Amino acid sequence: MLKVSLTLVVLAATAVPAAAQYRIGMSAAITGPASSTYAPTYEAYKVYFKRVNDAGGINGQKVEIAYEDDRGEPQRAAANAKKLSEGSILMVNASTSATYKPFMTESETEKIPLLFGGGVCPREAFPPASPLIFCSTSFGSKWDSRFALGFIKEQAGGKKVKVGFAAQDIPLSRIELEFAEQLAKEMGLEAIPVVVVPGNTPDFTPFAQKLKDAGADWVLSWALWHVEVGVFEALQRIGWQGSYLLYGHQQTQDELTRLKAPTLHAFGGNTLFMENLPIHAEIGNLVKGQTTHPAHYMAEGWVSAMVLEAALKKCGWPCPRDKVATAMAGVSVDTKGLRGGPIEWTADNHYRKSTYYKVYRWDPAKNGIAPVGGWTRLEIK
Amino acid sequence: MTQVLATTVVVASLYALLAAGYVLVYRATRVLNLAQGDMMTLGGYCLFLLATAAPGSPALSIATAAALSAVAGFFIYRLLMRPMAGHPIFAAVLVTVTLGILLRAAIVLVYTDRIRHPLPLLGLANPPRRLPGGAVVSTFDLLTVGAAAVLFLALFAFLRLSPLGIQMRAAGEKALLAAQRGINFQLLFALSWALAGFAGALAGILYANNVRLDPSLGVLGLKAFAVALVGGLDSLGGVIPGALIVAAVEVLSVRYGDPLLADVSPFLCLLAMLLVRPWGLFGTKEELERV
Repeated sequence: MLKVSLTLVVLAATAVPAAAQYRIGMSAAITGPASSTYAPTYEAYKVYFKRVNDAGGINGQKVEIAYEDDRGEPQRAAANAKKLSEGSILMVNASTSATYKPFMTESETEKIPLLFGGGVCPREAFPPASPLIFCSTSFGSKWDSRFALGFIKEQAGGKKVKVGFAAQDIPLSRIELEFAEQLAKEMGLEAIPVVVVPGNTPDFTPFAQKLKDAGADWVLSWALWHVEVGVFEALQRIGWQGSYLLYGHQQTQDELTRLKAPTLHAFGGNTLFMENLPIHAEIGNLVKGQTTHPAHYMAEGWVSAMVLEAALKKCGWPCPRDKVATAMAGVSVDTKGLRGGPIEWTADNHYRKSTYYKVYRWDPAKNGIAPVGGWTRLEIK
Repeated sequence: MTQVLATTVVVASLYALLAAGYVLVYRATRVLNLAQGDMMTLGGYCLFLLATAAPGSPALSIATAAALSAVAGFFIYRLLMRPMAGHPIFAAVLVTVTLGILLRAAIVLVYTDRIRHPLPLLGLANPPRRLPGGAVVSTFDLLTVGAAAVLFLALFAFLRLSPLGIQMRAAGEKALLAAQRGINFQLLFALSWALAGFAGALAGILYANNVRLDPSLGVLGLKAFAVALVGGLDSLGGVIPGALIVAAVEVLSVRYGDPLLADVSPFLCLLAMLLVRPWGLFGTKEELERV
């Protein structure tokens, strides 16, 4: 009898086939100093693919995502890249640029596609794109400055304006705003040299004073949120009368409401949830009680997850690494209003054919946040 | 120039509040409390917790948050530091490092890394104030300066005039002699930790209302550590000139030099002091040997 039972147990155990599924590895700054920017992407992925799996998966296969926290640190990222590439068909990075190098090296060595879904897009995603590097993030180095300076010029209405730049003491922010400083000159704007602000300064006033004394009419900031807004608040406090344009991270909606400052403009690639689109309500219902961040922090991760779902659908089953890379290179995703237009990748453009920007600010007349104009489309060549 | 001066005093006040915690604990127990920056963060989150629970009661929330932080300081001593008695000092210092990491992790677990602003929950505003000479500071900048002034006056009075304060000084200066006189060391050590918790919380509460609250605020504690060492690790009086020097160098380097120097300037001050006078401006030479 015992022998029969044991045989049945062994048979039962061996009869279950190894679950065929899409295996993805994701490394994100779930904790650490930069996590307020990246942790919502991780949460959005979890909720999004739970829904996908609950509905039966993609092409009849579940999507299994292994998550690892890299805290935005390159050493941890290097360990995560090794671990996540084993058995995965694709890796996702939602972390600081300091973590990119080990992931890109692993991607190249192991011939595994790599999707940047929350951190700034690396140049390898732009034309001519590296075959395995893709990026769904709304913000893009250099393109953001192009848009921002165009916006400032348009707002100036032909008047001569002096533009100041508030960067953070991280390479990415400095490089971007040094590029912007140069571009501003080429565009006929008067540029004040970039002021670099340490992220953990106890007081932003001396940096703000420098910009004010230089006579800035506009200040552009492209950094982590607390630096962008810290400089603005200090400028406001010391009586600066100019206008401020910053990149709108996930905190934008909360912060524009808190500050209620009509001179503070936030630009970005995602629609703010105060626009109440059907997709916003859909996300709101799905994340309720599932995430530590509110629904309006989810846009970046949601779009990235939509793109991944579309790529896996296109890949079919079975879906090895080379096939998923080919599928991604031809993907076209309707973002349902989360962005100004679709995300379309081609063989040599893994950023998107067109990118869209919108500016928001506090409107005292409406006592709420309002867009400043509509979407601006920039063609990526 | 008046703006530079005003900003220097504001930054120095914040550093002084934090550095007072280092000095109080070190004087009494000879332990470098490397969790002081995270105790500042804890104070800020205590306020956020209370402001969320009872919005619109600023005085009650602020007082309770500061008191809770003092109680936390007391229990940190009672539960973590007291069992370290008899062990090497460096082991106790490592406990404070671990404590800081744990505090940060606990805060992230409960509140995530999102930036918080308790001010609107308290129903308060932080309007700018114009000072004579044209400098502009925020209301909470002024409160930071005021809080530092009141705290230091109260600490000096306590240490010079109250029996407990005199015992604390005696224990700090001649531990063996004080022990022979029957001074209750455990009470004094616990009190110094509670006071450090209170001072750190004041810094955290004021900074959270003035700038922001997030789990990484503890980094400011490192700069304040440089202040304590510049002033003299066993000298409460040394904290004030130490804070003013460090803050002045930091603000001036932004204003007239390279803003990138701001982040390293406290440590340049520290390095200079260690080369010239390793025991700090007002520290005692023998204390360094004990370190």
